[in-house]
Amino acid sequence: MQVKGLHSGYGKVPILHDVSFHIDERETVAVIGPNGAGKSTLLKTIAGLVKLTSGELYFDGHNITGTSPDQLVRLGIALVPEGGRPFANMSVIDNLRMGAYSKREVLKTGVLDELFEIFPRLKERAKQMARTLSGGERQMLAIARGLVSRPKMIMLDEPSLGLAPNLVDEIYEKICALRNELGLTVLLIEQNTNYALELASRCYVLENGRIVMEGSSAEMSGSEHIKKHYLGL
Amino acid sequence: MTETAIQGIITGVLMGMIYALIALGISIIFGVMNVVNFAHGDFVMFSMYLSYVLGTALVWDAVQTPLLTFPILLIFGLIVYYLIIDRTLRQLYVVQLAATVGLQIMMRAAALVIWRGQPRALQYSFIQGNFEIFGFQVLTSRFVAAVISLIFIAAVAYFMNKTWAGAAMRAASDDLDAATLMGVNYHRTYALTFALGSALTAIAGGLLMSFQQTDPVGGIRFGFLSWCVLALAGLGSIPGLIAAGAIVGVAESLQVTFFNPQGRLLAVYAIFILVLWLKPRGLFGRK
Ligand SMILES: Nc1ncnc2c1ncn2[C@@H]1O[C@H](COP(=O)(O)OP(=O)(O)OP(=O)(O)O)[C@@H](O)[C@H]1O
Ligand SMILES: [Mg+2]
Repeated sequence: MQVKGLHSGYGKVPILHDVSFHIDERETVAVIGPNGAGKSTLLKTIAGLVKLTSGELYFDGHNITGTSPDQLVRLGIALVPEGGRPFANMSVIDNLRMGAYSKREVLKTGVLDELFEIFPRLKERAKQMARTLSGGERQMLAIARGLVSRPKMIMLDEPSLGLAPNLVDEIYEKICALRNELGLTVLLIEQNTNYALELASRCYVLENGRIVMEGSSAEMSGSEHIKKHYLGL
Repeated sequence: MTETAIQGIITGVLMGMIYALIALGISIIFGVMNVVNFAHGDFVMFSMYLSYVLGTALVWDAVQTPLLTFPILLIFGLIVYYLIIDRTLRQLYVVQLAATVGLQIMMRAAALVIWRGQPRALQYSFIQGNFEIFGFQVLTSRFVAAVISLIFIAAVAYFMNKTWAGAAMRAASDDLDAATLMGVNYHRTYALTFALGSALTAIAGGLLMSFQQTDPVGGIRFGFLSWCVLALAGLGSIPGLIAAGAIVGVAESLQVTFFNPQGRLLAVYAIFILVLWLKPRGLFGRK
């Protein structure tokens, strides 16, 4: 995945300025940054929810600039949005099926059973409406829904948002296991910098819509700027 | 006295099923798209005229006419969606209001011009007479209309719950951005929703024409009745919609039986206001 000179925003309001970065196949890369930096906007732009004003996106050797969301799903890109956002008035199983909306043939490959094995809680609650799930279950449902289409790359927008610390550990264990098992490329956004640096091999820092730092997670952990502003040390 | 009342309740419940069918149309349009189609009642009026025209020309029974009016209204709904509604979606709410109220006025004017304001009715129906249950008279045409309404309500529920297009509609209703992420093209999903909601008025129109006449201003009444049904039912519950249809039908029918038929909508409005005070989210809706 490669992003070159990306500019985007909402209407006339520019948010991202000349953002460039890359993720290798099967790599996990984190983007960290303060509130309002434009992290979610970055993922929404890649997923085709927000129109970019200029710049180019490449995935798997294809130029995917301006590709519609359903085509992106078919190419193997999935976004788990901030807060998960499962369909509240649909059952767990219907939520998961919606994950295959643009790639219905995957349902015949036993993907739901595989996901139920990884998330047994979702299997127990399969018939329940998503609005009746707990926050952690909802996040798991959102991640599972993102994985139904068997993406090559998954983008996770703050999967720990609003979860109790022990649940954050659980979610990250699952993400780590899934990544290794499925050979996923992961683009992670996280306020919880410790978790981000632990899961990712490399990291970018986004501030005010610009990338201001990049480096391996080890380098980042050692950086004074990161220590001061992101790790609270 | 009680016998007359029971008779009125039977008539009202049967009529209420048609109201529920009409309200289902605005319910899916409002639920999925968050669009209030003020012309919905006039779609019913328009469908009734179409049934009249086709029924007369082809010598068909009123209840057969939806075979043709259903696809016509489906296409009409698509045209209205792409020409008007789609343009109003991300605009101020008043734009939508002006667009659909304007459509209502235009349809009424068109009906006045084309049919010269005369009420029209179909001459003959092969669904004749009445039958007796526990000593009460039931008009066969009303009974058939209620049963067909229920069948179509069930069919729409099946469509919403068991097909990909229905799932896309439910998903778009819950969270449009998340649905878009799944690859739902909301313009297409909205167009289908609006067309389906509109086409339900074709079924209702055909059924209504099997026992009553149509006139150019009849749309006001159907619009109002179906809004009341939806407000009583709340969003998202099909059994609630059927129950609310029955309540509204009975209120109207009892008013006609015991008081002045001219004020038939007053009783419905009174019940609506009462529910607004007691349960503003509707009697059966979610949350
Ligand atoms: N739908 C929108 N319309 C207009 N402006 C928006 C919209 N969504 C976000 N913004 C603005 O864009 C900027 C970046 O928002 P974004 O959600 O990308 O930040 P973020 O880095 O994800 O923040 P957080 O850490 O709080 O999630 C903010 O100033 C926000 O007010
Ligand atoms: Mg964000």
